[in-house]
Amino acid sequence: MSTSARSEIFAKLRAAGRGASAETIARECQALGSAPAPTPPAPELCEAFLFNVLKNQGSVDCVSNRAEAVKAIGHYLYTHFRSHRLVAGNDPRLAAMPWRDAGVLPRFGSLEEGEPVALSFARLGVAETGAVVTWTGKANPAANNLLPEHHIVLVDRTDLVPTLEQAWDRINQELEKAGRPRGINFIAGPSSTADIEGQLVYGAHGPRRWHVILLGNIPPHALELARTTNSARA
Amino acid sequence: MQQRSDTFLDNASAALKNPGQAQRLDMIALFAPLLRTAAIAGFADFDRLRHHVKQVRQHSLDHLEYYLGQFEQEAVHNGNHVHFARDGDELNSIVLDICQQHNARRIAKGKSMVTEETSLNSFLQRAGLNVMETDLGEYIIQQAGETPSHIVGPALHKSAGEIRELFQQKHDLGPRDLPETSDLVGEARQVLREHFLKAEVGIIGANALIAENGYSMLVTNEGNGDLCANLPRVLIVCTTIDRVLPRAQDATAMLRLLVRSATGQSQTCYTSFYSGPRRDGDSDGPLETHFVLLDNQRSDILAGDYREILECIRCGACLNHCPIYTAVGGHAYGWVYQGPMGSVLTPLLTSLEQSHQLPNACTGCGRCAEVCPADIPLPDLLRDLRHEETRKKLAAPRWRYGLQLHAWLARHPPLYHRLTGAIIPLLHLLGRKRGSFSRLPFAGGWTSQRDFPAPQEKTFMQLYQARMRPRDEH
Repeated sequence: MSTSARSEIFAKLRAAGRGASAETIARECQALGSAPAPTPPAPELCEAFLFNVLKNQGSVDCVSNRAEAVKAIGHYLYTHFRSHRLVAGNDPRLAAMPWRDAGVLPRFGSLEEGEPVALSFARLGVAETGAVVTWTGKANPAANNLLPEHHIVLVDRTDLVPTLEQAWDRINQELEKAGRPRGINFIAGPSSTADIEGQLVYGAHGPRRWHVILLGNIPPHALELARTTNSARA
Repeated sequence: MQQRSDTFLDNASAALKNPGQAQRLDMIALFAPLLRTAAIAGFADFDRLRHHVKQVRQHSLDHLEYYLGQFEQEAVHNGNHVHFARDGDELNSIVLDICQQHNARRIAKGKSMVTEETSLNSFLQRAGLNVMETDLGEYIIQQAGETPSHIVGPALHKSAGEIRELFQQKHDLGPRDLPETSDLVGEARQVLREHFLKAEVGIIGANALIAENGYSMLVTNEGNGDLCANLPRVLIVCTTIDRVLPRAQDATAMLRLLVRSATGQSQTCYTSFYSGPRRDGDSDGPLETHFVLLDNQRSDILAGDYREILECIRCGACLNHCPIYTAVGGHAYGWVYQGPMGSVLTPLLTSLEQSHQLPNACTGCGRCAEVCPADIPLPDLLRDLRHEETRKKLAAPRWRYGLQLHAWLARHPPLYHRLTGAIIPLLHLLGRKRGSFSRLPFAGGWTSQRDFPAPQEKTFMQLYQARMRPRDEH
């Protein structure tokens, strides 16, 4: 059944198509160029990214090194859960963090029932939409993105890109090197729904809260400026 | 889905008498356009983006055979099984076969209008499977035994009160009040989480298929589709053959249009790209993945005069801006797709005979074409369908003869002017006192809802000629 359905469908598409050669199609495709991107909310990359994360109802921390990152995570866990536990994927970058310095007790693996917080180390951050990008695999099991109550995501300053096109350029380089991961996930906010009378509620199926920690050499007032512009536009 | 488009007029009349629903539709008509306008205002050159994506879509459809073949090749390379289905029945049996091969009992399903089109749920349920919709809106209408009223927000026709009552009746969770919307969402989260963890098969749709790398794109805010795609051991992606785009960057360019037009965001909470089963060394993810690619008339539409409707990206903007949709709601249209895009698509996917009233559910205001991110000339396509309706003699004889008479008169201007020149002064005379008519012969339907204003003394042409005459002498 399937084979004949396939050939029948392809025959109809052939009849409806222009019958161009692969070279012509590739040339036409090349000529299409790239899509225009929106105007960034700020010319500086960190500020633009932080602005959009805040707009997506994420909370934000900026830290300059890994020790500070661990401290910020410890503070977040204590503030929200009076605990120092979290789950993180088997990401070498996370394993190498100085966890003991802040008394944080990570468990490395996939989130299990009853564990409220997961930490991911993003592959990319996209300033255009305030999204972080992770991919599936041992370094970040899908459950860690989707099943915790709070999802904390670390993003390295050097992994920020301005637009979705530049995000793909980076992703495609990775795919060339390491093959195609099963899933590439852009996350831009806590899980939400407006399916009941159009009223926006957070924590539909996934995390109720989404906390982004930007790590690295960040201009001193980037977060402050992002906050001010955000509240001014809200 | 059982079609009821042939009774559109009755469906619409009934809907207009439901005050609660009318109020909720007013809210859609008010807020959805505001959200969209604000999102577009924040984008530098939205028209250029629209133009760019239009060209990409046209290019993909021009070479659909090539790109679909490329997608299939890449998807197989990624470890997927790729199936093709000529019609809904074929899609349904392919999906059921896969479920049965795995002795699956529980299915977790993400939102997919394509599977609404094929009535997949009822097909699988008849075979004894427990199919649960996991998008909150779809879950609500599934529990209520209803159909989607909006392609983006399927349960927007229901009040929070109705949903509360439904949950209290359907969920065996003891006495509870559920006073807030967040309580309702929380309860659905709890009930569905359990289903996600137990389901053996996940079924999702796709917003795009990417030819260059064999990934599919899934756009959601709830994250339910991602749970379906990641937790069960088998994943089935059901979509249509026209969703293929050449490059990954084309999918995210289209996303820029889609999300702003649908909800006013710049990106939804979750935009996910899935390529196949779990890789060596992965600790999670499905062990087996399938794509079921449905034609169901698309290849015919591609070869015909309405091919531009295949460029539709399912954002729902034309619904939110349509004066008919926002008055009568989605159920009046009697099938899966509603509003202007639905009025074009339904006759093409089912038959004009069953749904010829839908292209008439149009005031010709043009707002849908103005806001359509895919730049589809919806009013033109609707007009062409009405033309076809007339040619096929599907409209009521009274209507057809009336139109023929009008067309004949319009082609004989002197007669037309003489006739209107006699009728208009007469109407003016008769309506002089009241300024309007509450009843008119042959227009009872119109005057049953509103008064017809009495015309001024002379027709436009009479006034125009009177005004032009003295100038001619100069």
